[in-house]
Amino acid sequence: MIRSAIKVSLPIMFGFVPLGVAFGLLFQDLGYPWYFASLMGIIVYAGAAQFMAIGFLSAGLGVIEIAMSTFFLNSRHMFYGLSFLESFGNWNIRKLYLIFGMTDETYALLTTIKVPDSYLKERYYLYITLFSQIYWVLGCTIGALLADILTFNTDGMEFAATALFVVLLIEQWIMVRRLLPFILGFISSIIALMFFIEHMLLVAILLSIASIVFLRLIKSELS
Amino acid sequence: MNELEYLIIVIIVMALSTYFTRLIPFVLFSSGRESSILNYVAKSTPPMVMMILVIYMLKDVNYYSNDPAYTLLSLAITIGFQVYKRNALLSIVAGTAVYMLFVQI
Repeated sequence: MIRSAIKVSLPIMFGFVPLGVAFGLLFQDLGYPWYFASLMGIIVYAGAAQFMAIGFLSAGLGVIEIAMSTFFLNSRHMFYGLSFLESFGNWNIRKLYLIFGMTDETYALLTTIKVPDSYLKERYYLYITLFSQIYWVLGCTIGALLADILTFNTDGMEFAATALFVVLLIEQWIMVRRLLPFILGFISSIIALMFFIEHMLLVAILLSIASIVFLRLIKSELS
Repeated sequence: MNELEYLIIVIIVMALSTYFTRLIPFVLFSSGRESSILNYVAKSTPPMVMMILVIYMLKDVNYYSNDPAYTLLSLAITIGFQVYKRNALLSIVAGTAVYMLFVQI
């Protein structure tokens, strides 16, 4: 099961390691010891928020503002949990960790993969989530350690995250085969891009969920 | 408060804030209650979110190259591999390698 989890999570490695390295490199500019980059990867574990933190720290922003900004930046994750209310199982440490480890990438992967029948779903999810975080922490650490000597040109490697989501979108299409959610996602994105480009991700997710609830309610009214 | 204390407090606050956002749905909708609308939303969210994430990424993928043709071609390669081979890793590596090549030469 572990080998299968590693294999399935490798695409996340290609996204997380370079992104983590980029974070570590930037974080080192602040002048703190390198292991704080690793620590952030371990206990915060949020890509966008960690990049934002670099700005906070150098500006010396207040703690309350930081808490609020982090909350709003990550608030899309509130909707991710909806897909796992059942499949994360009963309340225990494993479930608490699965919730902790839900990033955009792990959410995308876990909602797309098919868990083989012989595997215990929660355990398989746990391995994938754990390996994903290991990739991230590795990236953050390598970046912070190599800040001065890194010579490998990683320009363009950020495309890996885009490619991952494109691949998972195709897999979602093969699994779901209903046009409506894809159309709603597309329209919501375009509207959010046009009017709320600063908060595009959150607005688009809110819009798409609001519209699918709305359509569902109309449908049940009519029937 | 010295600089290290500030850093540690910021890390703790961010960790709690991030975990809070991820925990909310599980606390609000703790299992036991079946709701058809919630089920429907839960099922429709992944395809919607995936679509949104792709568009979100494409919005600023042209950091290094100014030519959208690079992005389009790399995307086409990723999509092509995925449709014909169904091997996620291969599709991602192929698309990313081509994109990096474009950007760096």
